[in-house]
Amino acid sequence: MVQVAFFVGAIGATGGALAVIALRNPFYSVLALVVHLVSLAGLFLLLYAQFVAAAQVVVYAGAVMVLYVFVAAYVGAVEEPIWEPIPGQRFLAPLLAVALLVELTIAILGTGLTALDSEGPTVHAGFGTPAEIGNLLLERFLVVFEAASMLLLIAAVGAVVLAGRRTTPPTSSASRPGSAGSGSEVAAGPHAPTATSSLAPADPPSAAEQGG
Amino acid sequence: MTLPFADTNFAEATWILVVKSIVIFAVIFAIVPVLTVVERKVLGRFQARYGPNRVGPYGLMQPLADAVKLVTKEHYRPRNAIPILWPIAPALVVFTGVATLAILPFGDVKDGVGFYGIDVPIGILYFFAFGSIAFYGLLLGGWASGSKYSFLGAMRAAAQLISYEISMGLALLGAIMMAGSLSLVSIVEAQHQVWYILPQFVGFLIFMVAGFAETNRAPFDLPEADAELVAGYGTEYGGMRYGSYAMAEYIEMFVISGVAVTFFLGGWHGPGPGWLDPIWVIVKIFAFLFLFMWIRATLPRVRYDQLMSLGWKVLLPLATLNVLVTAVLVTVT
Repeated sequence: MVQVAFFVGAIGATGGALAVIALRNPFYSVLALVVHLVSLAGLFLLLYAQFVAAAQVVVYAGAVMVLYVFVAAYVGAVEEPIWEPIPGQRFLAPLLAVALLVELTIAILGTGLTALDSEGPTVHAGFGTPAEIGNLLLERFLVVFEAASMLLLIAAVGAVVLAGRRTTPPTSSASRPGSAGSGSEVAAGPHAPTATSSLAPADPPSAAEQGG
Repeated sequence: MTLPFADTNFAEATWILVVKSIVIFAVIFAIVPVLTVVERKVLGRFQARYGPNRVGPYGLMQPLADAVKLVTKEHYRPRNAIPILWPIAPALVVFTGVATLAILPFGDVKDGVGFYGIDVPIGILYFFAFGSIAFYGLLLGGWASGSKYSFLGAMRAAAQLISYEISMGLALLGAIMMAGSLSLVSIVEAQHQVWYILPQFVGFLIFMVAGFAETNRAPFDLPEADAELVAGYGTEYGGMRYGSYAMAEYIEMFVISGVAVTFFLGGWHGPGPGWLDPIWVIVKIFAFLFLFMWIRATLPRVRYDQLMSLGWKVLLPLATLNVLVTAVLVTVT
């Protein structure tokens, strides 16, 4: 039973990750990423990390991927640039990939394989519950936790400031061609708030849920 | 034998779990058709008409006729629809709705059997995790239909769901802090003296408003606003695929009502002997379901910008304030 669940999760995670980079349509890539994240949550569940599994689904598969879906669905299939955005990317990218592979291989061979023949660590009752993770976050890792939440707060404030700044050009550019008078400004008036209010939910949820 | 996965607060034999899942499944699938006819009857009375009264006595066999009609309809797929994703979407919504039912407690442990599907330590996070997967059912359905109305409906549903999910979580956080546990069973047990609707009244109101938005019910039924979007994400669906969306909506209503009963109305607590516990839960849930129908019959649909500003500018600050005040009070007392 455990083995079956593990292999289902593992195949889902690997297949999803491969599909993310293999698929051409960005929307399918996003969906593949969702499959990957949900499979990963299943693997966390097998490791007795229930809270992490739930947080993975709620925050990543839920909040963060929604933004990706929004972007992919609204923007649609973007034409791939025919030039290289970064010069020498074609040669640099495989080099870095091989370096990463070597690094990971060393790390896995060095540490992970020693546990292969053992039963794994013994897990005490209540391991991975929200209460235990809350204690760890607020006692042992308090400074790191607070630093991360400050970072997210700064990011959220920055996003609000940037979004607030960007609302001014559309109204001014919309009123510029409308030299006929106030008629176009009235037309632009109700449109601008709806545009910002429909985009506004895109930023806060991820920051708020990760921060909380 | 225990489950291979993460541990639960109360472990039971596997066969008991299987039997429990079948019972919950059967009860809910008996309740959903009843709900459809009750809703139409209630709406009829609100609008000074009879409602369905042709099929069977008082029109009570109406859901049977509806089900037969939906199941025997042709499986039509629009040319623009994306083959695999399009049929998956309604199934996904029903699956997540049914999966969430597992954590609703209908009673405490009696004779070694817990009157709930499963009591997970992550408790209500389970509900939110499946809620965020249910969102993909709506979004995929709208996007894979290949139609403008469906797509707009799906986008509205997405924005609405993520906007109100946060307020919903924060509204429940007050009750969670008072009970000191995420587990729904422990939360009900903590309410044996006073139901949380009294100390957490603000949280209750926020939860109900967010719950109406989460289930896409009137007055927040913008994703399927029939006057502007035909039927939103469900426009291109027909037959039982459309029926699945409708069924999922009723299951979600049931789940939201169940969570509200668990967190704010004392769950299975009520006068009478212990075997009445599940009945009390069902009665309370039906009271909430009636509230859902009442509000649908009474309130007009809100505008989209009103919906967004209500969610972000009113509910979210209010819910945060509620959490802060509760936290201070819980720490002081």
